[in-house]
Amino acid sequence: MAKRTLPRLLQTPAVVLLLLWMLVPLSMTLFFSFIRYVLNSFNRPEWTSPSLSNWRGFGNYEYVLFNAKDFWFAVQNSLFIVVSILLLTVVLGLALAMLVNRSFPGRGIVRVLLISPFFVMPAVNAVLWINMILDPVLGLNGIAVAGINEIVNGLKDFPVLGAFFSLWPEIVPMSFRATQTSAYAVIIMVTWQWTPFAVLIFMTSLQSEDESQKEAAILDGATAWSRFRNLTVPHLARPIAIVVMIQSIFHLSLYAEIEIVSRGNGNKNLPYLIGEFTSNNIGAASATGIFAVILANIVAIFLLRMVGKNMMD
Amino acid sequence: MATVSQTSRFGNMFWTILAWVIALLFFFPIFWMIFTSFKTDADAVKPEFLFSFTPTLENYVNMTENYDYWRFAINSVITSTFATLLALVVGIPAAYAMAFDPSRHTKDILVWMLSTKMLPAAAVLYPMTFLTKNFLDIFDTHFLVIVVLCLINLPIVIWMLFTYFKEIPKEIIEAGKMDGVTTWGEIKDILIPLAWGGVASTALLTFIFCWNEAYWTVRLTTTEAATLSKLIEGNRAPEGLFFGRLSAVSTAAVGPIVVLGWFCQKQLVRGLTFGAVK
Repeated sequence: MAKRTLPRLLQTPAVVLLLLWMLVPLSMTLFFSFIRYVLNSFNRPEWTSPSLSNWRGFGNYEYVLFNAKDFWFAVQNSLFIVVSILLLTVVLGLALAMLVNRSFPGRGIVRVLLISPFFVMPAVNAVLWINMILDPVLGLNGIAVAGINEIVNGLKDFPVLGAFFSLWPEIVPMSFRATQTSAYAVIIMVTWQWTPFAVLIFMTSLQSEDESQKEAAILDGATAWSRFRNLTVPHLARPIAIVVMIQSIFHLSLYAEIEIVSRGNGNKNLPYLIGEFTSNNIGAASATGIFAVILANIVAIFLLRMVGKNMMD
Repeated sequence: MATVSQTSRFGNMFWTILAWVIALLFFFPIFWMIFTSFKTDADAVKPEFLFSFTPTLENYVNMTENYDYWRFAINSVITSTFATLLALVVGIPAAYAMAFDPSRHTKDILVWMLSTKMLPAAAVLYPMTFLTKNFLDIFDTHFLVIVVLCLINLPIVIWMLFTYFKEIPKEIIEAGKMDGVTTWGEIKDILIPLAWGGVASTALLTFIFCWNEAYWTVRLTTTEAATLSKLIEGNRAPEGLFFGRLSAVSTAAVGPIVVLGWFCQKQLVRGLTFGAVK
């Protein structure tokens, strides 16, 4: 008996801390989601403190689902951002992992350069991209477009060819802070940051690939493409699934990037919407929070299954 | 035969150059940030000074004056260091027990711990503010930031340590038990020296995650315990009038961490995939 108590005792602090961390705030959110609770109300001061007498049942959920104007937009936009980033990082990550997974001069340096974006803090990533790179006037985006326009203008004075170039329109640089484009800015900067992560994981996995199987396939005359399709892709199926799920969990809760790019203008996700509700309507914020938990859980269940299956070997 | 080796040599060269070009492109934004940090704010927005300019250290010298950089940096160092230490103190005994004395619940406990990591932070934003501000009165304190950073990283810490500890042959620990070594002695004199590399890389990676955290550190602080994430998010300078100084403060905020990251890129895979990709 004593043999069993000690290991249990050693785990207790970790388990208790995580249990408190998870249960206390979450049960408060759950409670708040069922009551009328606002931070400021001139007409109904009784709503400004959390109390059971303000019970609203599923009223907050109804409000969020059917009356709040941004909920469905936020869900849609969350998925748009996450799916776009996933597609880009997986495709780029696979291509780059294959490219770097050979021996060539300077491979170590190339790896270091490639992995660096992953360690940049999100706030700096966003500030750097939206200001210095994507800005339509002062950023490299604006400077590059202005440069192209200048070259085209110069070519218009050329004999013969000038007539051709004078048909070219003046290019207008894209502004990434606008309502329609702010989601693209977030997708670009997060893809830049997370492609290295995908590369790293795919590379680790490629290195454990069975070389003798590959050699046998070469001897049997299999083409490079069929080797890739029939040996490498099945081998990578699992790391791809892991990359997709881990990134989904992180990107479903993007915040700093969205805040810095456009303060949610034209580009919200559920966490951002919760943040907006939290400035006054706590009931709605909490109901939205419960929806976000459900959405994250759907993804998490798959990931936990996979990890759990693999962990004891 | 000769033609085959020749085409493959050219092929090789092509792929090598392509790999280099793409790697440089990926690094370019970081390079550009460092590069711009040596321009004055006025030069930084003038296309004619894009590549040729008089480098200056002015932005770094004035960093304290412009942004009060050191106060935020010191907060980042304090909170990240203590959160990492706290996570190790709580995590090492737990991972030790799970790796060497697993019960039939160990697997479930580990998976459950991971699931706490997947709870969207925004869902508990208000309760956390409410509790720490009105109830516990620890809002905007180093203590709060340290505890929160520790808790959000604890699952990863335990997972990483667990995978490292499992690689140590059980017999060594058992032998210690035979010799009458106490549990504390086992951890201190046998386990930690043997798993030193694993513990160090876990610590390093946790430190990086703490440093880069940008949700709780921004929302649970105002001035007292505000970290570098808060400094940058608060000074986003929408029209980019301060590219030079913004670059300098950004470089100072991410530089040390990117370098640290280079040293633990291999452990990153284990830390972020929970041992599921080997």
